[in-house]
Amino acid sequence: MNDALLRVQHPIPAAAGIGLRAPHMAQVLAERPPVPWFEVHSENYFCAGGAAHAALERIRRDYPLSLHGVGLSLGSADALDRAHLTTLRRLVERYQPALVSDHICWGTIGAVHLNDLLPLPCTTEALELMVSRVQQVQDALGREFLVENVSSYLSFRDAEMPESTFVAELVRRSGCGLLLDVNNVYVNSVNHGFDPSSYLRAMPHGSVREIHLAGFTRKEHLPVPLLIDSHSRPVADAVWSLYEEALALCGPQPTLIEWDQDIPGLEVLLAEAGRAEERMHACRTAFA
Amino acid sequence: MPAAPRLHELQQGIADALLGRGDAVAAWVVGAGLDPAARLRVYRNAVAGTLTAALRDSYPTVLALVGEDFFEAMAARYRLQHPSRCGNLQQFGGALAGFLQDMPEAQRLDYLPDVARLDWLRQLAALAADALPVDAARSAMAAMAAADALRVRLHPSVQLLRSRFAVLSLWQWCRAPSAAAAPRVDGTGEQVLLWRDGGEVAMASLDPATFRCVERLGAGDDVASAWTAAVETDPDFDLEPCLRDLLAQGLIVAFIPQESDA
Repeated sequence: MNDALLRVQHPIPAAAGIGLRAPHMAQVLAERPPVPWFEVHSENYFCAGGAAHAALERIRRDYPLSLHGVGLSLGSADALDRAHLTTLRRLVERYQPALVSDHICWGTIGAVHLNDLLPLPCTTEALELMVSRVQQVQDALGREFLVENVSSYLSFRDAEMPESTFVAELVRRSGCGLLLDVNNVYVNSVNHGFDPSSYLRAMPHGSVREIHLAGFTRKEHLPVPLLIDSHSRPVADAVWSLYEEALALCGPQPTLIEWDQDIPGLEVLLAEAGRAEERMHACRTAFA
Repeated sequence: MPAAPRLHELQQGIADALLGRGDAVAAWVVGAGLDPAARLRVYRNAVAGTLTAALRDSYPTVLALVGEDFFEAMAARYRLQHPSRCGNLQQFGGALAGFLQDMPEAQRLDYLPDVARLDWLRQLAALAADALPVDAARSAMAAMAAADALRVRLHPSVQLLRSRFAVLSLWQWCRAPSAAAAPRVDGTGEQVLLWRDGGEVAMASLDPATFRCVERLGAGDDVASAWTAAVETDPDFDLEPCLRDLLAQGLIVAFIPQESDA
């Protein structure tokens, strides 16, 4: 059996995986923990070769894999970075991941990269740009692409629609999949004062292919609450509740625990994944 | 500020705010209980933190030598003079050696740019493409070819740094600073060969003639020309151990006969 056939046997199950980061790589390769799937940041594998690729090849052999990008800058008024897209396409060809995603955001203007996930104004102009960009990416990769809703710490005066409408319309018009980050929905609901449950209800539930969960931090000493999507803590109780609502709306979906700062031991991430599994199990039981 | 901005206008304004070039864009930002400029500062700090972290990852030896405060100040100025040009942060720090060369506060540390070059070349070696070394049969065939009709392709991870400072000794001392007194950096210079051995970056200090030979081979010279260049550096240079060591380390990935070199 050739490599390509072996690889397609690894679709991502409706189970809780973890974001695989460098500090855990050696342990995962040595111990092969029973994690249902892993997600890595695409750009960490944009290099030509070396130890990172050697490790990811081994991961890919034994686990379903998702490639999650942070650098496409889909919503930039600048043209899409062709070199970045080409490198991503080669990475997708090499690893044949079950899911490929990036964010509903921008990060580049005038060829200067800010290397951050910056919020877009919820305007028709930005929506139309995003639709055309997602279609361009799906055409280039020849497969479904997922877009993720981002957390944000500001919004724009000239917004023409709520964020939930922007996200739902983008998915509907471009025909892409949705990576629903439940933590980001909660963070934004606090930062911008909307009802997170209504946001979830407005999502195109049949297009949700993956859910992200992570922990946030709270900015202190401000006159209004401001949550920061720091990926540095356990998932908050309010986000677990919202996750249960999301499961009730979308059914069990591949769910990912993300932790990118103050990264704890692998067992902490596995325990968080276990909490997500419990909720998916409860959801299945409720629907059975 | 005028009414609804076009997207590129808004994004340029945000970029200016995040790079510290003025907060005019705040007029388009909803405050909702906070100063819009404070909301922009959250992003400004995040961007600064991300870019500085990328430099820390790429330049651990520079950081060890200059300390946190100097490094932070250096990174702050570097970010503005050399904005990130890539969505992949591994490429962000490529201009740091040149930047340090011109940085007034770094003038007394005249070896620092070469330390930065070494850190950067280590990263290039770590991330370079994979390639299989030539096998014994091909090596034996190559041994029968005339030296002026034979070129080699070195492993993609091979990097070379010629420094007038003892840059490798300094790097080693930074790794284990308590082991001995700091090396004299202004004595004899060092010529460093870097490559990837397994997953790790390896380094060796070469004699000037061997370095010259490897440098010429890497530039695509035929073996005879590289040999001649090395002998000009040192009349006692011996080609055979140089090639043998390159082969033993798996650093020759192809022999290219002259004919196919169109």
